[in-house]
Amino acid sequence: MPLAIFLAGIFAIAVVMIGTAGIQVYQATSGGPVTSDCVAEGIAEDARGALGVCHIVEGIRSRPQTIVWLLGILVGASASVAGWSLYKRMPTRRQREHCIAGAVLGVQAMAMSGVFFWFRSGNVARFARNFLNIDVLEGAMDGFLRGALNTVKLAFVGEFGGIAIGLVLAVLAISARRTVRAPAITYINFFRGTPLIWQLPFFYFIFLFGFDIQMDSFSAAALVFALNTGAYAAEVFRAGIQSIERGQVEAARSLGMTYLQSMRYAVVPQAVRRVIPPLMNEFVILIKDTALVVAIGLTAENYELFTFSREIYSETGNATAFVATAVGYLAITLPLIRIVNAVEHRLRSGLTGVVGAAQ
Amino acid sequence: MNPDGSLVKLENIHKWFGNLHVLKGIDLAVKPGNVVTVIGPSGSGKSTLLRTINMLEEPTEGRVLFDGTEVTDIRTNLNKVRTQIGIVFQSFNLFPHKSAKENVKVALEKVLKLSDAEAEERAGEQLRHVGLEHKADAYPGQLSGGQQQRVAIARALAMKPKLMLFDEVTSALDPELVKEVLDTMKELAQEGMTMVVVTHEMGFAREVATRLIFMDDGQIVEDGEPREVFQNPRDERFRAFLSHVL
Repeated sequence: MPLAIFLAGIFAIAVVMIGTAGIQVYQATSGGPVTSDCVAEGIAEDARGALGVCHIVEGIRSRPQTIVWLLGILVGASASVAGWSLYKRMPTRRQREHCIAGAVLGVQAMAMSGVFFWFRSGNVARFARNFLNIDVLEGAMDGFLRGALNTVKLAFVGEFGGIAIGLVLAVLAISARRTVRAPAITYINFFRGTPLIWQLPFFYFIFLFGFDIQMDSFSAAALVFALNTGAYAAEVFRAGIQSIERGQVEAARSLGMTYLQSMRYAVVPQAVRRVIPPLMNEFVILIKDTALVVAIGLTAENYELFTFSREIYSETGNATAFVATAVGYLAITLPLIRIVNAVEHRLRSGLTGVVGAAQ
Repeated sequence: MNPDGSLVKLENIHKWFGNLHVLKGIDLAVKPGNVVTVIGPSGSGKSTLLRTINMLEEPTEGRVLFDGTEVTDIRTNLNKVRTQIGIVFQSFNLFPHKSAKENVKVALEKVLKLSDAEAEERAGEQLRHVGLEHKADAYPGQLSGGQQQRVAIARALAMKPKLMLFDEVTSALDPELVKEVLDTMKELAQEGMTMVVVTHEMGFAREVATRLIFMDDGQIVEDGEPREVFQNPRDERFRAFLSHVL
């Protein structure tokens, strides 16, 4: 019985997800011409990409689709009712977990089908026309790749510049002397306390007009990202250094080391390991924040992902490019997030030389 | 040596932590070759006293003289003085990212500016001294508490200090590991090292120490030859303390 509930849950969620995707694929590969229904919904028969959009709409509205979602709700409901009512009576933990997993999957299948039904009751055609019209992206691949490259470039320069700035700021910010601390803390508070989308134009124009430095908006943006990231990296370094036990500095100083030597040979090597995961997290955040360069605008050869898709939008009046951009960002950030998690896991699993002294 | 023949001399040391008066006018002189144990209830200020000797705690008032230098003088080069005063801590404070040998070597190279070969040789010598040459490449996390503490002792000794300070070095150890550390310290005492030892080990105080100091409430209330002090405790608080620990 518990296994049956578990399998029912899996079946329910699989039917909804795979069934919906399958119907879409079927429609895309062997769907008919643009239907009169689609035309009535405002999808012009001769418009670019009309056929693809119509297929998406027809797929969602088709009878098989209704059956798939209803089946998901039905099986999902049975699995969750059975699972919730029986799990406490199961004799082994394994059977109990099967019941609970089946019930949870059932609820998820019902929720997903419900949302799909709700979505279908709205103006699906209009949404699909504006956001899912893949045909308007034709020939944009090169631009997208260049945009992705520029996004990574901006984030890279920003992150490494920020790490350098942050290291200096952190050393100043942990000083025991208020006179040394004050400028660093003012800097950190300023950059953490104002919006990046404001900092970008402000500093760009200060560089350009105030200081009369000739620079293109791409370099200016990279510089502002570095200045901004510097403030956050400084806080990460400060926390990392202060997380090292006091005894480490005491031991180093007792051996006759100067303050800087104790930092260099005892504290910083340990702190560096602790700050790697949060710094990589900053990098992921920065990759997405590069989109804010729209505030100062870029020249065509410097377009990053977001600017590029906005350009397509203004040319075609179609927002599908923004959907593609999201895929682009995910393609960059997901592997990074995986790496961060792996590094974190490695550091936490207590490798030699990472664990504390007293244990 | 100081003009009066002592190696360390504390004069009227006071220490305040905010409103807390932790040391209330300590006077103490330690002669070369002496092994002084400091005992007392927790919070009596014995660790703070020890830590003022190498200025890990700066006294609020009073003077510390070490080997003819006034340590408390702000113009004194503290880093230089500290190379001659070894200290071993309760929580070992080994550098966890360095092997046992690297722990011993780092200050030899970076502070005493010895060549790599010299540092290597001296580190090996000191690890042998504490019986751990076979653990030279182990990291602190791979050593037992007793072994870590012996590496910490070797690290301090490698600087060839004139004075060794021990701050409750066995308190964080499992009972079966205490002896190996105490034996190392005993050996050191027999070699003639000048030592100030804050401890709860009454056996060590009785057998090894040449002088015993009992502190209570920031003051030295009993001071003398260990055997005699244990047999004829004069101070009331010391008698009460002994009745609790013995």
